[in-house]
Formats: sequence, structure tokens, C-alpha cells
Amino acid sequence: MKAPASALLFASALLFTAAAHAQWTNYPTPDIPRTPDGKMNLSAPAPKTPDGKPDFSGVWLTRGGYTVNMAKDLKPGELAFQPWAETLYQHRLGNEGKEDPQAYCVLSGVPREDVVPYPFKILNTKGEIVILYEALHSYRQIFMDGRALPRNANPAWMGYSVGHWEGDTLVVQSAGFVENNWLDNSGHMGTESLRLTERFHRPDFGHIDLQLTIDDPKAYKKPWSVNLQLLADDTELIEYVCDENEKDLKHLVGK
Amino acid sequence: MKRISSTWWASSAFLLTTVGAASAQWVNYPTAGIPRAPDNKPDMAAPAPKTADGKPNLSGVWEARDQTYFFDLAAGLKPEDVVSTPWAAAIQKQREARDHVDDPLASCLPQGVPRVNTNGIFPFKIVQTPTLVVILYEQLGLFRQVFMDGRKVDANPNPSWLGYSTGRWDGDTLVVDTSGFNDKTWLDTTKGRPASEELHVQERFRRTSFGNMEVRATIDDPKAFAKPWTTTIQKMHLLLNTDILEFNCNENEKDLQHRVIR
Repeated sequence: MKAPASALLFASALLFTAAAHAQWTNYPTPDIPRTPDGKMNLSAPAPKTPDGKPDFSGVWLTRGGYTVNMAKDLKPGELAFQPWAETLYQHRLGNEGKEDPQAYCVLSGVPREDVVPYPFKILNTKGEIVILYEALHSYRQIFMDGRALPRNANPAWMGYSVGHWEGDTLVVQSAGFVENNWLDNSGHMGTESLRLTERFHRPDFGHIDLQLTIDDPKAYKKPWSVNLQLLADDTELIEYVCDENEKDLKHLVGK
Repeated sequence: MKRISSTWWASSAFLLTTVGAASAQWVNYPTAGIPRAPDNKPDMAAPAPKTADGKPNLSGVWEARDQTYFFDLAAGLKPEDVVSTPWAAAIQKQREARDHVDDPLASCLPQGVPRVNTNGIFPFKIVQTPTLVVILYEQLGLFRQVFMDGRKVDANPNPSWLGYSTGRWDGDTLVVDTSGFNDKTWLDTTKGRPASEELHVQERFRRTSFGNMEVRATIDDPKAFAKPWTTTIQKMHLLLNTDILEFNCNENEKDLQHRVIR
């Protein structure tokens, strides 16, 4: 599945306003294993929490350019749109992202936050995992206290997430999404029927393998999965203010 | 002080911010670890819980008791306690003359510190770890990081709406120092007090019991005020069996068109 190159220009134009001299970005992150030259030792063992579970805490950045088209690695037939969804996807491609909610500073949503080119911070605490996203200055809570997913939640861009452990893998299941979610810049959609599964595995200090499974029978004929890799980042989040000094929307004209 | 015009009231961020749905998830999920009185009701006067390392644990969903300090951060103080410089007084006057239409919050821009704690119709959640305290705010869906690892703020950081925060314990009080602000913030709503890039805020959070927290903020901004000043005690209460909701300021926005000067 290929998205046009112009898709790169979508809402992302709004997103490159970060300043070079932000605070903390050059502060050496504590508790990072380092090689003799002071660089992060990416292949050091993954840390554990006191209760022996993998600790995913830290600042992470997604790799591999899935921002535009999350499904870029899929083989033909692996992603099967429902007919209405195919029509909408083609419309969005043809419109060059003019209707992308992110361009209007609406939350990026989940799982799009997993593929935007902005770092995020995972924080482990008792009973929940919090993810702070630099993009759109947003956050998400993943409850680890055994509660069930909502059956009829108020629709949310970030959805509602619960997690559990399968061995060393953190399995996060989410539901309760809005009807008009965008999963990437090209306009793959999520609907209220989306059930998302994210499987986080940290093989070493520097990496998280993250598998996303999109199960949204309203939009797709069958579930599809994407394998992402996250890279540990020796930096900090900086403030992101989408609404400030906005100059881009007038250029977002579609075709 | 001119009465707040209904135009401003109706058109400001308040309307934008009352869109939370009643049926949102998690709002009825029981909070864990509530101390109970003999009649099994939550004992809000029970001692504040501690973390494993013996510090007060501020974690939980909190809300300012009302909007007093959101409207007037200097509520309860004498006029001589808060002396605006001519620079600040002129800005306040101008904001009032323009019917408060320039309040950044109405344009979905961050409230700044300490205003972000004060709007008692939106809760915030404190997530405390030994080296980092995170505050998740429902309004605007903002978060703050308070670094507890001893780092210092640079002399000249990139100006920001929420500043850069470091924290330490002074007895049972969490002391949060924040600087590195931009000069666009409004310290409060009705008064429209400005702040400059010289602003340094010190917030003191003290959980006085299981259900209650007191916050005081000291405003030190030589460009805006003749001397530093400290708010009276802002009362916060713990919310049980609920959570913060998703807040999306820019979604389905219908209000800005009404934001006009009368």
C-alpha cells in the first residue's frame, strides 16, 4: 500500500516548530548504562522493576517512517478495507490530508501516537503505566490493576487502555475510540469498533519491539498487524503547543 | 473593576471546557486503598499516605475547591501585598479594556503556572515516583514533569508556557520551583495579571490528610511585581472513584467567533 509522497507534507508541517535550545534536552538521563565514550549502551540488558517485570520507563522514539503510511510493509491482501473505508481512504489520499484532524490540533489519538516522529516518555507506577507524548502535548493512562475494558465508553481519541503481562511482554488492549480516528497521515481510519492490541517487548536497553494489531471490523475485513521498533532516546520531551502562532492551515487546501 | 461582561464569559474558554461527557469510562471505577471510617465511609481526615521511602504520597486525583484563585490569584491578600509594576499595571488595564478576549486559554493555549492548578471545575492527577512527579491536567490535556533528581534549570532555557520544574521535599511539603516561562501567560483570569520571562514560581504542596491538600504559590517576577508575593492557602480535595477525562480543546470549536469586544 503506497501513499503519495505529498502525504509527507500533511499535518506534519505544523509539527516542526520545536526549538533547539530547550531545557533538559542535553541533561544526561540518569540510570542509563553507558559505553566508555559516554554514549547510551543500547545493547545493555533491559532494566527490571522491583517486582521483576521489564521496566519500559524512558524516552522513546519510533523508527522506520511509519508516520505517513502505517501499513507500508504489508503485503497485498493483508489489509482489506471494507468498501466504504476504501472509498474514504482514496478520498483522503486525493485530498492531501485536508481533513486530517491533527492539522487542526485535535489529538493525534492512539495508535497514531506510536508512529508520529516525536518522542514519548513511558512512566511505570504502581497500578498504571503513563505515557507522556510530546506530540500535541498529550498523555495516556494504561491501567494495570486488572480492570476490564469498557463496553460502552464515551468515545475518546486516545481510547481506554488496560494492560497485562504475558511473560516479558506487556500486552495493552484498548477500546472506546472515536469514530473518525486517523491512524496515520495517509488516512487509514479507525472507528468506534476499533480494538487495538499493542505488544511491547524490550529485548535490551535500547529497543522496544512494538507490535500493533488493528482489529476494526467496521473498517477492515480482517485484523492487520504492524511491527514497529522503538529506540531509546537520551533526551527529554519539550513543550509542544499546537495552537501557537499557527500559519499552516491556509496552505492546507487539498486538491 | 468592571463586571465581567457576559460576552467575555460566554466566549472564553469556559464554554469550551464544559464538554466532558457524563458517561465517560473509569469515572465510576473504585479508587484503591481508601481508608474507611467505622461506618465504612471514606475517611478523608485519615493521615496522608506515604511512599515506600517515607515521603508523603501525593498521588491521586485532585481538584481545587473552587475557582477563587483561577479568577484572582491574590484572593485574600491585601492590596499592598501585591504591587504591580507600571509595566504590569498597563497590561492588566489593557486586558480589561479588551474584555479579556486575549486570554490565551480561550485559544486553547496553556494556562501557565500556577494558574493551571486553580480552575476548580477540572481535576488533575498527580503521579508520584521517587525521581519524577508527573501532573496530568484534565483541562487542555496538559502534563507537567517535576524532576526530583537534583537537576537545575539552565540560566537561559527556551521560553515555555509551563516552564521547567524541579522539586524537593521540605519536611512533608513538596516544593516545586519553576522558571523558564514565556511572557505571554496570564496568572489569573478576572484580574489578568501578566508575568514576564523573569517569572519564578515556587509552589508548596502539602497533603494535610488523606482527602486534603494545601497549595501555596509564591510569585517572584521583578518585571511584573515590585516584590515577591505568596498566595493564601489554596485548598484542594481528593476525588474518589473517578479519573480525569479526555479533553480536546480544538474539537468542534464553536466559541471563538463569539469572542468579541463589546
